[in-house]
Amino acid sequence: MLRDDTDRYLPLTESTCYIMLTLVEPLHGYAVMKKVEEISKGTVKVGPGTLYGAFTLLEKEGLIVKVKEENRRKSYVLTPKGKKVLMNQIKRLEIMTQNGLSVMDMLRSIS
Amino acid sequence: MAGNTVRKIKWFFPWQDEQEEAWLRSMSQRGWHLASVALPCTYRFRAGEPRDYVYRLDYQTFSKKDKQEYQQLFRDAGWEYIGEMSAWQYFRKEVKEEESLEIFTDVESKIAKYKRILTFLWFFWIVLIVVFPVRGISMDNPYPWWGAIQVFALLIWLFFTYNIIRLTLRIRQLRRL
Repeated sequence: MLRDDTDRYLPLTESTCYIMLTLVEPLHGYAVMKKVEEISKGTVKVGPGTLYGAFTLLEKEGLIVKVKEENRRKSYVLTPKGKKVLMNQIKRLEIMTQNGLSVMDMLRSIS
Repeated sequence: MAGNTVRKIKWFFPWQDEQEEAWLRSMSQRGWHLASVALPCTYRFRAGEPRDYVYRLDYQTFSKKDKQEYQQLFRDAGWEYIGEMSAWQYFRKEVKEEESLEIFTDVESKIAKYKRILTFLWFFWIVLIVVFPVRGISMDNPYPWWGAIQVFALLIWLFFTYNIIRLTLRIRQLRRL
C-alpha cells in the first residue's frame, strides 16, 4: 500500500467512513443520516450531533466541500483529497475482510 | 394558566451533562417541560401534561448562519431546539418506538464534544496565568484592591483546573468503553 500524507486520517471511525461513502454524490445532512442507515442495513446510525461534528471536521480538513445551500440545508461532496482518504480506508478494510474470511472456517470449527 | 411557569437554578459541572439530561427528563415526566434556559444556570419550566421527553445537550459555538443550519439538521432528525446556555445547546424529543434517542451515536463524537469544552477551559486557564502571573500575593502593589482581585483570580483558576481534570478523566473513562 502506498504511504502518503492522507494516512494520518486512517483508520476512519465507522461513522465517518459511512458518512464519506454517502458523499460520493452531493447530499445534505438528513439525507446522509437516512442513507447511512440504509446502506449499512441498519448496523450504523448517525445522530445529528455526531454528523454535525463530522461535517465540521471533514470540511476543515478539506476532505469534503460544501456545494449547495437550500432552505438552511448544506450539501457536501467529497474532495479529491477526501476520495483518496476513503480509497485508502477501503483498501485497509478489504485486507481486513480477506483476513477475516480466510479464518472463517477455523472460527466455525471452534466450539 | 399562562403564567404557570417555574424558574429553577441548578448547577451542573460540564462532565455532568448526562445527569442534567436525566433531571430534565424527570421534570417532564412530572409535567414540567423545559421552556428556556438562561445564565446563570437558570431553567424555566412550563406546566403541562406529563410527557416522556428525552433531553440532549451538545456543546457548540458558531456564527448565526451556521447555527440556523445546525438547528435545521437537528429538526430534520426530529429534535426540538429549546435554547442555548453558554454554548450548551438544548434539544428534546418525545420517546417513541423506532425513534433514535441519541444525538451522539459513537464514543468518538462524545469525546469530541468534551474536547470542545476542554479547548475553551484551557484557553481561559492560560489567559488567567498570563494576566495574573503567579508571583505570590504581595501587598506591595499599586492598588489596595489588587490583592483581592488576585485571590479571586486564583479561585477561578483553581475552579478551571478542577474542571479540566474531571473532564479529562471523563474522556479517559469513555475511551475505555
